[in-house]
Amino acid sequence: MGGSTSSPAPRTATAAALAILSQLCGAALLYAILKAEGTWHVAGLLALLGLGFYLLERFPWIGDFVTASLARVPLVTMATAAVIVLGFPFLVGTNTYVLHLLIVAQLYAVLALALNFQLGSANIPNFATGASYGIGAYVSALLALNLGMSFWLTLPIAALAATLFGFIIGIPSMRTRDTYLALVTIAFGVVVQQLLNNLDWTGGPNGLVGIPAPSLFGHSFASPLQVFGWTLPSQANFYYLAAALVVVAIVTAQRLHGSRIGLAWNALRADEIAAKAQGINVAWYKVLAFAVDAFLAAFAGTIYAFYVSYISPDNFTFLVSVTIMTMVIVGGMDNIFGVIVGAFLLTILPEKLRAFSDYRLLFFGVVVIGFLMIRPQGLFPQRLRHYGGHR
Amino acid sequence: MAELLIQQSVNWITLGSIYALLAIGFSLIFGILNVIHFSHGDVAMTAPFIALAAAQILAASFGAFAPAWLVLAVIAAVLAVGMIGVVLDRVVIRRFRDAPAMMALVATVALGIVIRELIRHLYPQGSNPHAFPRLVSGVAFDIAGVPVNWFVLLVVGTTALLVALLFVFLRMTPLGLRIRAASEDRLVARMMGIRDHRVFQATFFIASSIGAIAGLLFASYAGVTRFDFGVMAGLLGFSAAVIGGLGSMPGAIIGGLVIAGIEVLAQTFVEDGASYRLVFVFVLVIVVLVFRPAGLLGRTTMEKV
Repeated sequence: MGGSTSSPAPRTATAAALAILSQLCGAALLYAILKAEGTWHVAGLLALLGLGFYLLERFPWIGDFVTASLARVPLVTMATAAVIVLGFPFLVGTNTYVLHLLIVAQLYAVLALALNFQLGSANIPNFATGASYGIGAYVSALLALNLGMSFWLTLPIAALAATLFGFIIGIPSMRTRDTYLALVTIAFGVVVQQLLNNLDWTGGPNGLVGIPAPSLFGHSFASPLQVFGWTLPSQANFYYLAAALVVVAIVTAQRLHGSRIGLAWNALRADEIAAKAQGINVAWYKVLAFAVDAFLAAFAGTIYAFYVSYISPDNFTFLVSVTIMTMVIVGGMDNIFGVIVGAFLLTILPEKLRAFSDYRLLFFGVVVIGFLMIRPQGLFPQRLRHYGGHR
Repeated sequence: MAELLIQQSVNWITLGSIYALLAIGFSLIFGILNVIHFSHGDVAMTAPFIALAAAQILAASFGAFAPAWLVLAVIAAVLAVGMIGVVLDRVVIRRFRDAPAMMALVATVALGIVIRELIRHLYPQGSNPHAFPRLVSGVAFDIAGVPVNWFVLLVVGTTALLVALLFVFLRMTPLGLRIRAASEDRLVARMMGIRDHRVFQATFFIASSIGAIAGLLFASYAGVTRFDFGVMAGLLGFSAAVIGGLGSMPGAIIGGLVIAGIEVLAQTFVEDGASYRLVFVFVLVIVVLVFRPAGLLGRTTMEKV
């Protein structure tokens, strides 16, 4: 695995065809899973998914070849991805439940990518992503409700507030490590959640109600979206907004991964003392990881608050942070694509298990434990870094 | 004022003892496996349910509900929970002992979810709170007009006895020696002919039974038990173990007393402190760990040379 240099380089035409085909297959599978109803239907698709992952594991060159193809024709890849993402709501049509699932999955993908900077790149535990998410949601909601600020103005303010929070959590990380640091982040998460639950001006356990829908160029996000004569349900507005955020998160993640910062985080993960000896400012990069995580999580929180228009402390508990962490681990640490797949799987699958609605949480726990035992490296393990010209 | 102070001190000692018992379990398991068993709180809180079920079965098969059944049920619950700990170690936790710390943490959090959901589904009307009787009732004596219940004495006495027994066990018995050897260096212990599987089994049995006793005392103190009490029990016990210094028994006891102390102080002296008690507890946890990164009695080590 990872040694993709030995696999044959695909020719441009093959690569383009494969890039389009593989992404269409992925989209079709996602669509089938989203539309699936009934136990057998879901079980069949799960089996298909399992078979797919088995094949990828058994024949690693398939994955390498597809990845190489995608990288060979970046324009085709991106164009296909854009068409798929933009066109999906038209395919889904008026099924608002599916759109809702997709929005939530995309927000979780952003959260998982945010956490990935720490857990994946630098191996710093953080059980407070849910808290940053909550701070983003509450700050923007409070600004909108009390000061009448618009969504677009609250977005950067909420992100700033959460980043400040990220810096504050980051400070103990200079001194504590591993399990102790995990407890510090858990403690921050509990403190934030308890404060939201008890303070008067955050609405206490009832939360905040009636957050106004954002609008853009006079188009309110609460009204249906009309494009080229097509009418999409109002959820489509938020779908595109969340998709834009996912793109921002992916670009941020890729840029950071390729920069000295990403390299420094990887050095921290490999060996903290060696990194220190190489002249890497360990404390600064650790704090930075917390700040970046909080920044992105706050964006997701703001969109969530304006999307559901009702937030309560229950949306931002310790369990939410654990779920985000599970998404990163299941998807594959430090693998952007894997993390997104993990977020989508863990958001959509529990919803598909409505058949055993009461046993959903139990099933979730069993699956997570089983997964960690059978495939601890995640669905898509991290790849080796490429240096220099050959690609 | 003096009465309030005495009353709150009594509460502090009671709650502190229960937290200390929970923390000891976390510390023992961490010391030997280097794994945080985050579901330890949930394992502990299965004990009240098992005891209630056992008492009802006994009452149903042998007639009226008698105190004797309660005692038997409590003993059965403690032993059963010890076995649950051994089984969980065997099936799940042991597999994570060489994995990165985060894997073990997430896996045991998921295990906690599974345990809670199992209680909820397997116990009749498991979603509802169930009343749990005071194990002993009545007032033992007065301190300056403040009555001290037998229950308080039971909690403090049990804790003191268990701590003493654990100390004697770890210091003076062959099995205790093996546990200490394995927690110091598992590989060397194996080379000395110590079967580490046995050691893990024994550790998990002891830690889980002590946890079960803490769970029973906690349910009895609160008067009720619920399937999701384990979350808070786990978080508070884990915090106590960590701020005391993981792996250190005296640390676990001090940690339990500190956590209970701040909780009682917040409830007594802060307006609306009962709702904010967790905020105070976890702010304290953060402060302690910032100034003592390895806990109060833990040693800071720089690994690798």
